[in-house]
Amino acid sequence: MVLPSMHTRQPMDSRKLFFFVMYSIIVGSLMTGCLSYRVIKAVEGRSVPNTFAEFSVGTTTLQEALQTLGAPDQVAELEGKDVLIYRQSLLTNKGLSFGIPFSEIWGQSFDFSAYGELVRYDMVVLSFTPDGILSEIASEKGSHYPYLKTMLSEMQ
Amino acid sequence: MECFHREKGDITLKRLREPLCILLLVFFLQSCAGWVKNRDYHPFDAAKLDKLTVGKSTVAEVTDMLGAPSTIVKLSNGNAYIYRRSLSKGTGLWLLILIFGNYEKRYDQVVIFFDKKNIMTHYGVTLDAHKAAYGLP
Repeated sequence: MVLPSMHTRQPMDSRKLFFFVMYSIIVGSLMTGCLSYRVIKAVEGRSVPNTFAEFSVGTTTLQEALQTLGAPDQVAELEGKDVLIYRQSLLTNKGLSFGIPFSEIWGQSFDFSAYGELVRYDMVVLSFTPDGILSEIASEKGSHYPYLKTMLSEMQ
Repeated sequence: MECFHREKGDITLKRLREPLCILLLVFFLQSCAGWVKNRDYHPFDAAKLDKLTVGKSTVAEVTDMLGAPSTIVKLSNGNAYIYRRSLSKGTGLWLLILIFGNYEKRYDQVVIFFDKKNIMTHYGVTLDAHKAAYGLP
């Protein structure tokens, strides 16, 4: 059963439309000033290849490491050994903010905010003897750690 | 009965079309997007490395071909000359109350190892800068 009156579409009259537009703009403007949620990510460097897992201490040479992993991000000398560092950093910044800026009118205002920034590293450190033979490998896969769990963790 | 529900739904949709369009318009008027590109440029040509010979080429030949290095590091058995340049691309998007930002920085790097006699012993190349991309988090 269909009522005949339900077929007729009633457009907004111009007065209602004007108020609706103004109301939407004002509410939209206030919302942008009062409530915001942000997600920012920054990545520096390339992802560290897993091929270093095939390296073995005492046999892998500097030339093999350079051929497999490419140019390192950092080179240093440490206690008579040459150290190559491959690194990628991943920054995640998240924030939630809610506030009502009444301070100009009232002298008081409400503001609730929570921000957090986490930088994680994927890193491989290779140490070579002066003869160019691998003597130590150290690695870290920071990107595996989840954002919230890591942020809320008590661990330093 | 089914027909009645469908008709009712159509009418509700028609009534909502105008306000929804306005809300969508306001949403986009309050939004904006931005892009950023940064380049840390050093004009070395990694292709010229093919002309260099491990165990033979000297520091002078390398610097003639590639120019001055970005960094020189003293090592246990010589020095490392590092040539580096970077390309960064960033994207920002503001959608009313949501803010998204993404920034990616990649490098082109050439590291050349020299012994104490200034003879090239090894080298490593990573050409990755072109992989920097705009995007969302």
